[in-house]
Amino acid sequence: MGMNEREIHALLTASGIDGVGGLEQPDLDPTVVLQPSALVEVMTLLRDDERLAMEMLHCVTAVDREDRVDVVYHVCSFARHHALTLRTSVAKPDDADESWHPEVPSVASVYAAADWHEREQWDLLGVHFTGHPDLRRLLLPPEWIGHPLRKDYVYPSEHGGIPLELDAVPIYERDEREDTPPVAEPRPAGTPLNQPPSAPSARPHAGGKAPAKKEGEG
Amino acid sequence: MQGLIDVFANLLGTGPTLSMVLAYFVCIHSLIGFITIYAMFAIWMERKVAAHIQVRLGPMETGGWHGWAQSPADALKLLFKEDLIPAGANKFLFWIAPALVFCGVFTGFIVVPFAEGIQIVDLELGVFFIVAIASVEVIGVIMAGWSSNSKYSLFGAVREAAQVVSYELPSATALLPPVLIVGSLTLGDFNTFQAEHGWLILHNPFMPIAALIFFISSLAGCKRAPFDLPEAESELVSGFHTEYSGMRFSFFGLEEFVSMFLVSAVTATLFFGGYTLPFDLLSIGAAPDVSLFDWLSGHAELGQVDILGSLTHLAGPAVFIVKVFVFIFIQMWLRWTLPRLRVDQVMVLGYKFLLPWALFTVVGTALFEGLGWGWCSHS
Amino acid sequence: MEALEMYTTDERSDVYTEELKLNLGPQHPSTHGVLRVELKMDGEIITDSRCDIGYLHRCAEKIGENVTYLQFTPYTDRMDYLASMNNNLAWSLTVEKLMGLEVPERAQWLRMICSELNRIASHLIAFGTYGIDIGANTPFFYAFRERESIMQLLERPSGARMLYNYIQPGGVRRDVDDNWIGDVLAFCDEFEKRWAEYNTLLSNNYIFIKRTANIGILTQSMALDYGCTGPVLRGSGVRWDLRRDVPYLEPYDEVDFDVPVGEGTHGALGDCWDRYWVRMREMMESIRIIRQGCAKLPGGEVMTKKQTSMYKSPMKAAEGAHAYMRCENPRGELAFYAVSEGGTSPIRLRARAPSFCNLAVLDQLLPGTMLGDGVAIIGSLDIVLGEVDR
Repeated sequence: MGMNEREIHALLTASGIDGVGGLEQPDLDPTVVLQPSALVEVMTLLRDDERLAMEMLHCVTAVDREDRVDVVYHVCSFARHHALTLRTSVAKPDDADESWHPEVPSVASVYAAADWHEREQWDLLGVHFTGHPDLRRLLLPPEWIGHPLRKDYVYPSEHGGIPLELDAVPIYERDEREDTPPVAEPRPAGTPLNQPPSAPSARPHAGGKAPAKKEGEG
Repeated sequence: MQGLIDVFANLLGTGPTLSMVLAYFVCIHSLIGFITIYAMFAIWMERKVAAHIQVRLGPMETGGWHGWAQSPADALKLLFKEDLIPAGANKFLFWIAPALVFCGVFTGFIVVPFAEGIQIVDLELGVFFIVAIASVEVIGVIMAGWSSNSKYSLFGAVREAAQVVSYELPSATALLPPVLIVGSLTLGDFNTFQAEHGWLILHNPFMPIAALIFFISSLAGCKRAPFDLPEAESELVSGFHTEYSGMRFSFFGLEEFVSMFLVSAVTATLFFGGYTLPFDLLSIGAAPDVSLFDWLSGHAELGQVDILGSLTHLAGPAVFIVKVFVFIFIQMWLRWTLPRLRVDQVMVLGYKFLLPWALFTVVGTALFEGLGWGWCSHS
Repeated sequence: MEALEMYTTDERSDVYTEELKLNLGPQHPSTHGVLRVELKMDGEIITDSRCDIGYLHRCAEKIGENVTYLQFTPYTDRMDYLASMNNNLAWSLTVEKLMGLEVPERAQWLRMICSELNRIASHLIAFGTYGIDIGANTPFFYAFRERESIMQLLERPSGARMLYNYIQPGGVRRDVDDNWIGDVLAFCDEFEKRWAEYNTLLSNNYIFIKRTANIGILTQSMALDYGCTGPVLRGSGVRWDLRRDVPYLEPYDEVDFDVPVGEGTHGALGDCWDRYWVRMREMMESIRIIRQGCAKLPGGEVMTKKQTSMYKSPMKAAEGAHAYMRCENPRGELAFYAVSEGGTSPIRLRARAPSFCNLAVLDQLLPGTMLGDGVAIIGSLDIVLGEVDR
């Protein structure tokens, strides 16, 4: 029914807004590339233009790549039966660390849905949306330090007094298995029932006490 | 009651005062026993009624046959529970609130007539007394909600205050038409009147309306659905008794069932004949001329005792309790069928709908009585 | 997070009134999960509200970056745990779009039938729990009677009662047994009779209508602005359903069904009753779809040949590819966005959950209503915290 992505992209380039880039990935999921400076203007045009009529901002996603941070927007129109994906990027400086926050203008003034989406991306990836009315953490507790979905995120060693031991090696890299499910090893005598057989028996607990062993079980 | 006093005086040879004390002691304690056993039975019945409405079975295991021992088991469990008092709670009010609530409702039972003479005391102001004493529980509920030091309890208490106090108006007003017809507030008189003249609900076209208004208002007074806002489970967790646990909590539960009985008893007595059957069939509930008490107190010989009369006298409580349980069943049925009204809708219903109609029935009944009209003839 | 201010002066009068700060949740019978809403109340009326979510955050998106595409399917189950089939479907479609997988025809029809069965199951819970929120405890038990039948039906092909992990990238996990279609059709007959019962008990009940009509009126423009989809959007009058308008499964093109929208029957358009009634009628539409699906189910394979086992070489997508796929869930439009750099797992996985976006509108709907209405509004949005927090 509506316009396809190429036509929308042509309309955007013809609108004269500075910063509209090319159309990437045209065969799989066409994405319009934008400069951050053009973001609010383009969003306003998408929402207000009669032929485009993108009434809804569907999703805002930030992607932490090696050399840059992308922010991807998905908008859709119910009246015109079309949708569009847009992407802006902020290049990462060489000395980027956990205190570096990419700055992208907020579209919360254009679409109210952006409010929570942008808060979540701030929370999880540390993308700072300038002009957002109330940019604070959404999912994580307010005292959390760091942005977990970043690639250089270091898991905290403890939280609230409870030590955390995390194995960050992905599951499928642990060993090369054939197409058979793993067989459980028999539980050694004396292992408490609430721990798997392979767990270290001297797992440190808050307070430093080892778990009580159940007599006559396991 | 006088008969029982005479029995004690005769059998035990005690003086008049001591016999009276003993008689009242026995009666009140048997009433407490009856109430407690009734409450346990009513809780089991509620669970069974709820279950069958909800396409399930309810208690089936405890005690064997359909889980009859569930209630005593629950009571025992509640006795053993830890007595939790919130840290910031006002201890004295927290402690006294359940007692006040239960005693307030229980005291209303001293005027309920189970049969002629089977009544703790037949106060001349019976109807007025019941209406007045049932409002003591409001104080208890407000105390419970306030002293719990919890915002949810406070909500429940405030809603209770607004709702129960407001619904006392249509409730009491709807009780006026029967009083107008019978001409007395004494509960025993209602039974004798209806034995002679038929059930009051059939006396004129306003009586069914009055009965309905009283029934609905009393549902609100008992805090039963659709008026169970003070303890609205899905909004207030548990309303005014959120912070109560163990035996204190069970007092509130008992109070709910006991006040259901009280309200059903008033409905049955005032509108549906009390302990009598229509057209005074078999003189159910009427005291015989010579009863067992007369024999036991030495006023008559055994041969003179009217056995049949005594039996029909004792059938009075049975008839009465059957009627009461019909209304209790209807109350339970309504609870599990209807959703809950919002607090301002409850107020609107009470003040703008029930109260004007109640006043209308009073005026209408007065008119009919004054002009001598009525569906059932009465002299 | 700044807390709501505790003390304010009442500007309308000289009397100093303290506004009550009440916490609705996270443990509360009516918040449909661990949701916390900070309320500022003036007596019974809510003057301000702030949602506090994240109590059920389980780092699904971070996990998605560390497991393979196939291994992530069970995690999608647990997002909206009441509509697992639909979640699996959305994720499988995203992966298939990313990798260019072809799904056999029989698998597509089975996917449609299972998704619609799960839609009915999910709407039954919405119906039952909404009754409890409003105070009617009985419809819940009737709803669960039907839901039990559906769970037993879906247990036969997938092996699980609630978290199915059945629809996987490339098709469905295994084929259904011979009697399954007959039993599904028997269920459809049974359900139609029961649906009429539900309406007598709850939908047309005077008290229920008084509690839900003209409450929580969500205008079309507000719904579109805040990203609301699904029955929430349709209750406000927007006739949009991805199954009909952007069919993500070919069988949806070949079956006939209507898209019910709210019509302001008992009050303003977009109130709680409209949203509730949209869900009720959607259940009947799903029955229509299931019947047609069972009649037209073709034979054949149920899983594409390219799907290899989890433990041998997992599937990889092209480097630099990213794909976004939307799917009509019972609660709204679920979308997954997967970004690949050639590895066996995506480098970024985003789940756009419908309840997340629907919940954002709550802070606008609650102020000005009473506490009882607040509960009715939360219930009518039909959120599942599993997908709000992921």
